Amino acid sequence: MPGPSRDIPQSAYHAGDPTIRARGVSKRFGEFVAIEKLDLDVRAGECVGLLGPNGAGKSTFIGCLYGVVERSGGELKVFGHDPAIEPRRIKQRLGVVPQENALDEELTVLENMRIYARFEGLPKQAALSRIEELLIHMSLDHKRDATIRTLSGGMKRRLTFVRALLSDPELLILDEPTTGLDPTVRHLLWEKVLSFRQAGKTTLVTTHYMHEAELLCDRIVILNRGSVVGAGAPRELIAREAPGYVGIFAQDREKVLRTHMRAGWDLFYQGRQCCIRAPQIEDLMSLQRASGNQALQIRPCNLEDVYLKLTGRELDDNE
Amino acid sequence: MSEFYISLQLAWHVVVRNWMVYRKDFLANISPTLADPALMMTALGLGLSPFIGQIEGLSYAQYLAPGMVATTALFTAFFECSYGFYVRMTFESVFKAMLTTPIGVREVVIGEFLWVFIRAALMAAGVGLVLAVMGLLANIWSIFIFPFIGGLLAVPCGAIGLLAAAHVRNINQFQSVYSFLIAPIYFLSGVFFPLTDRPILGVLVHLSPFYHGVRLLQMTAWGRGSFGEAAFHVTAIFLFTVVLGLWAFKKIRQKLTI
Repeated sequence: MPGPSRDIPQSAYHAGDPTIRARGVSKRFGEFVAIEKLDLDVRAGECVGLLGPNGAGKSTFIGCLYGVVERSGGELKVFGHDPAIEPRRIKQRLGVVPQENALDEELTVLENMRIYARFEGLPKQAALSRIEELLIHMSLDHKRDATIRTLSGGMKRRLTFVRALLSDPELLILDEPTTGLDPTVRHLLWEKVLSFRQAGKTTLVTTHYMHEAELLCDRIVILNRGSVVGAGAPRELIAREAPGYVGIFAQDREKVLRTHMRAGWDLFYQGRQCCIRAPQIEDLMSLQRASGNQALQIRPCNLEDVYLKLTGRELDDNE
Repeated sequence: MSEFYISLQLAWHVVVRNWMVYRKDFLANISPTLADPALMMTALGLGLSPFIGQIEGLSYAQYLAPGMVATTALFTAFFECSYGFYVRMTFESVFKAMLTTPIGVREVVIGEFLWVFIRAALMAAGVGLVLAVMGLLANIWSIFIFPFIGGLLAVPCGAIGLLAAAHVRNINQFQSVYSFLIAPIYFLSGVFFPLTDRPILGVLVHLSPFYHGVRLLQMTAWGRGSFGEAAFHVTAIFLFTVVLGLWAFKKIRQKLTI
């Protein structure tokens, strides 16, 4: 298996260069292809969302960025450094919220953070004031001396954010940051991520929540089976891949609805419901009248429709 | 700052992390490594000694004493690096977070070795002190040398633990590693009986680092032995450290990175 080339000259990293630059990045596990020739740029200050089904290669790609996954081929630069060669130069400027919190359960909040401040090389006094500042920022300062074991899931997740922010990183990687959290915590974390973006931090976030991606990200990249199947700003992606409106009907109406469909419309199923996508809301209104079927719901197309279409979960009638 | 210095400093942070977690359950963590040698000394040393004649001019308790220091080093290092490391890696996902910081796999492994060196050295000092109080050390100065030998012995024993942690498919499989590798090494390496009249076993024991540590500790405690023999065993421990240490590093890197 050819490894990443080790003799690529270290090109200088200029302001304005993408923070992450991936060209033809691949990762194979034996026969299995986890990532296939992935091209991706993340510019400084940008928030990019990586979407895709479980096993699409999102976490594998993230691992490539700081050297815990050795890519099988392609060129990859983070801050101008190759993570296969100089992972530490990258990790010094990086904060990661991994899928698992991986906090030391028997230690207190403060002890956990002090250990990680040491790992990041912060001097003791600076570390203490930085930890305090971030605990207040994440509304965890009252839990300073609590053991991790006693914290709720939402508190642990917020603390994992604190840990990722200790070294004031330029690049934040959030791997499913809000999975399994209640809406209150989720909203709090969204607000924080938006404030990072405002402060000029570069963010790469993976998620299964389309609403989250739409809310947080300047740009979305949809992966399927290790390849990019769609990319762009959320609105732009919707306008390109699934423009218009969706009417949701009961499942047994397919036959009658089909007779009234026009060219350029889609019929697909979401769960057990029969969905019709049409360019204009009026198209769906006239469909209701002509077919004599009232839609259960009519809504504008959203990122989830794009996602389902591009990852091949949609039964596309026009194919 | 040189790369080597930064690496060592990061490895030291791993030691500090382990210490902070360890001290939370200090009594539970320290009990087996202290209680086992103490019980062994009482049951076999004091209990059996009167029924056994002299061995190489020593009472059985005196014969047994240095082996207890070796035992504490072996068990401290093996259990920390096998069960302990496996739990950190698998159940606590410690390294998934740690490896996102400037710490790399190299620092994780060096940190583990430093950690067991220090722990085994302290335990060796503790056991040595108890043996001295019991009057079982012919050479009283040996208590100052025990920590060094104990620490040195712990590193290759820890490497065996890391190799086990890299190879087992679940935590129960450590039982087999203990029964078929660690226990035989422990019982048959000259701690409990001399190997002078056992030609085959006497050669086989050279294949584990433990025997060399046992011999060094016996020479120190009994105050006898030649410089040549000491140099031989020290060299052997260094070789085991290098070979097993690099092998363990390679295997752990495969476990922690993909």
